[in-house]
Amino acid sequence: MNLSNLIVYVVDDDAAMRESTASLLASRGYQVQLFDSGETFLAQADIRRCGVVILDRHMGPAALTGDQVFDELKRQASPLVVLFLSGHGNIAVAVDVTKRGAFNWLEKTLTGADQLLEATAAALVQAASIGDMQQARQKAAKLWDTLTPREMEVAREMRHGTRTKLIARKLVCGARAVETHRLRIRDKLNVGNPAELDRFMRDNDL
Amino acid sequence: MLNPTAGPSGAPVPTSARLSLTWIVVLLAMVLLVAWAGQWSARRESAFQADALRRSIDVYALGLRGEAAKFVYLPFTVAQHPDVIAALASPGDTAMRQRANRYLEDVNRRAGSDALYVLDTRGNTLIASNWNQPLTFVGQNYGNRPYFIDAVSGGSGHFYGIGRTTGEPGLFLSAPLRSGTSIVGVVAVKVSLLEIQQTWGKVRDPVMLADARGIFFLGSVPSWMYQSTRAVDATERARIAQHATYGPRDNFPVLPWDVERTEAEPGYLLATKVDGIARRFMALDESLPNLGWTLTVMADYGPVTAARNRTWTVGALIAGLLLLGTMYWRLRERRYAEQRVARQELELRVEDRTRELGQAHSFRKAMEDSLLVGMRARDLKGKILYVNPAFCEMTGYRADELVGKSPPYIYWHPDDLKKHRRESDAVLAGNAAPTGFESRLRHRDGHDVYTMVYTAPLIDHNGEHSGWMSSVVDISEQKMAELRQRKDSEKLQHMQRLASLGELAATLAHELGQPLMALNNFAGAAKANASQGRLALLAGNLDDVAAQAKRAGDIVRSTQVWARPHLRGAESCDLNDIVTSVLAMVGAEIRHHQVRVSTRLDLAQPCVSGVRILLEQVLVNLVLNSLQAMQVVAVELRELEISTDRQDDTVRISVADRGPGVAADVMARVFDPYFTTKPEGTGLGLNICRRIVVENHQGALEFENRPDGGAVFVLVLKSAQ
Repeated sequence: MNLSNLIVYVVDDDAAMRESTASLLASRGYQVQLFDSGETFLAQADIRRCGVVILDRHMGPAALTGDQVFDELKRQASPLVVLFLSGHGNIAVAVDVTKRGAFNWLEKTLTGADQLLEATAAALVQAASIGDMQQARQKAAKLWDTLTPREMEVAREMRHGTRTKLIARKLVCGARAVETHRLRIRDKLNVGNPAELDRFMRDNDL
Repeated sequence: MLNPTAGPSGAPVPTSARLSLTWIVVLLAMVLLVAWAGQWSARRESAFQADALRRSIDVYALGLRGEAAKFVYLPFTVAQHPDVIAALASPGDTAMRQRANRYLEDVNRRAGSDALYVLDTRGNTLIASNWNQPLTFVGQNYGNRPYFIDAVSGGSGHFYGIGRTTGEPGLFLSAPLRSGTSIVGVVAVKVSLLEIQQTWGKVRDPVMLADARGIFFLGSVPSWMYQSTRAVDATERARIAQHATYGPRDNFPVLPWDVERTEAEPGYLLATKVDGIARRFMALDESLPNLGWTLTVMADYGPVTAARNRTWTVGALIAGLLLLGTMYWRLRERRYAEQRVARQELELRVEDRTRELGQAHSFRKAMEDSLLVGMRARDLKGKILYVNPAFCEMTGYRADELVGKSPPYIYWHPDDLKKHRRESDAVLAGNAAPTGFESRLRHRDGHDVYTMVYTAPLIDHNGEHSGWMSSVVDISEQKMAELRQRKDSEKLQHMQRLASLGELAATLAHELGQPLMALNNFAGAAKANASQGRLALLAGNLDDVAAQAKRAGDIVRSTQVWARPHLRGAESCDLNDIVTSVLAMVGAEIRHHQVRVSTRLDLAQPCVSGVRILLEQVLVNLVLNSLQAMQVVAVELRELEISTDRQDDTVRISVADRGPGVAADVMARVFDPYFTTKPEGTGLGLNICRRIVVENHQGALEFENRPDGGAVFVLVLKSAQ
């Protein structure tokens, strides 16, 4: 996936932080969008698309914290890759954040421009791969949708290596019909054997 | 038994009803007893009387018989005399008759009889003792008289009647005069019974003699004479007339007697009138068969009635006395019972009270003994009435060494005697400060004891003010701590500064993080722009870099000032400007607390020499305190007034609120370090403010409560001029 298509979102309540980050990333040719709070970000950004969020953990006393925004993204199963920024912190915070699925964590005082760029680039690569995976899945889903309901049933039995006779008995139909379904499935999904079919289905969450 | 109070179903009789029933029964029994006693006494008396009657009737009968018997032989004797026989045999012989007359006269005189006379067989009187008297019997015929009839037929006669010749009653006794075997005459003697009647008349009670027909012919009651106890029929009346027994009388009315007989008794009761007076008698009859008479003796029944009445009276008296006695006894018993119950109750109450008192006492004692606060009670003149163990412990003297003493007390500190005297007088005059006062005592072993004394009036059980009760709190520890703290003041301040520095370090990291990272970012952007020749962007990046660097610098500078304020030089500060910017800083807080703000910035030349950021800090602190103080009052009352003004060569910022003000008991400690009234306060805010004002600006931080509510804090600074 082309990295230049991906957007980097910067969510920070401090204007200088937003501006400087935007300047830095723009000077490297990234697409940047700025948000001064978690609320506006969640409301306005397209969080269903792939991309990278640079998220400040502390944003004003009454506003949503970075953690809350992150939790909301996870709740909505957003594919966005999250890069946390923190004013100060320690190992425990870092472990906690990454454990919960954040891509990386940077401490403001200790982070130079190069490090920020590096981390952003890595996050973009991750986002691109997530985007690729998303595209592949969409493709597989389309293929899967070409199957008839009966073929889907047969495929679900087939992936476990169940023999034709057993499938026929289970689905109460003739062995020959099952045989036909198997051939159709092989052609439509372009899988050679039950093991390949099983991998295809598992990878694409079918 | 008739029981009017018992219910138809036989329900138990109520106690009071049963009691009155008992009383009625007892009363009835007593009445019966008394009545019986009366009757008994009457019977006894009447028995006595009956006895007496029997005795007297015997006497009377004996007398009567004697009188009759005395003369009964006289006619026989006279009939034997030869002269009499001779005279009768020859009635014509006058001499013989004269001799017989004389003889009879002589005998009659000697015998004491009334008359003695001899009759022939036809009833003519031939010889009589009263031959020479005018009313002589000689020549009279008495042939119709019963005594003649009886004698002439051979028996002896006796007859009572009224003399035909004399008209006087008498007893006639007769005997036949025999010559050989034939009866030739009758000798009769008349005996007067008037003497006996006279004797009876002397007796108080009536004695009456009745003939066989029941007619009284002799007796002591004249009005009853010739009256009958029973009806006399015509035949009898005829015979009486024939015999001329009672002279010419032929009517014998029945006496108006009311007779009452009892079977067993020989006597009987009779009620009648004697001389117009109603009387009751007990009577006894005795028949005299020889004479054919009946003797009736009576006794007045009055004594019997009197005896009964007397017994009744005495009995009633005794019964009454008994009743009264019983009632009195019962009353007394009841009173005793009540008194006993009352006494027991009283004893119980006393016991309870004693126990309660004991408990209260032991409770109080335990409480007093466990108190760490010294207690001292004094009378109105200052004499010590009581001290508790804590007070003794505090002063080192025993209770018996203190009680009864008057000022100056032994534990007064010798250096503070005047102060002690003044405070003691104030307390005794009732002018003690309600917040208490500090007092330095001298312990017995010589060390000083710092105390806080609170005094309240002592009210006795009558509600009268009898003295003063003081609680004495040992504050030596605090006092020592204060002294130590004052000594170590410099050190403490330094420590505090270090502490604040440490606190600041943490926030500093956060504060500085932002500009530093922004700086980095801008630098990174600048580098990229420079390498790609985008000069306009590069210039902007560099401006940004400079701005962020300044921002970081400002933060660091303010922190340096904070940590070491005295190192920073003063600048010229506009107080009005400071107020405006502080209000902007705490705007959010003000809105949050819903407080109205009014400012009066009157300073024409509002400048002072000072460290702006520190003065801002002080003002922020004061404003925040005011906002918090007003949390407890109604929203419409919350008003914050900030004003600046000038006085002589000082300028002042006043921060006035409408909160509850500063409580009297904390006034002295408002600026003490670590003293706070807020649950989460550190107790350093006002302390630091004052240090900033006093130490860094040679000014003053003052406060007072506003007369119409709230507190005002005033920051006083030297004017720049």
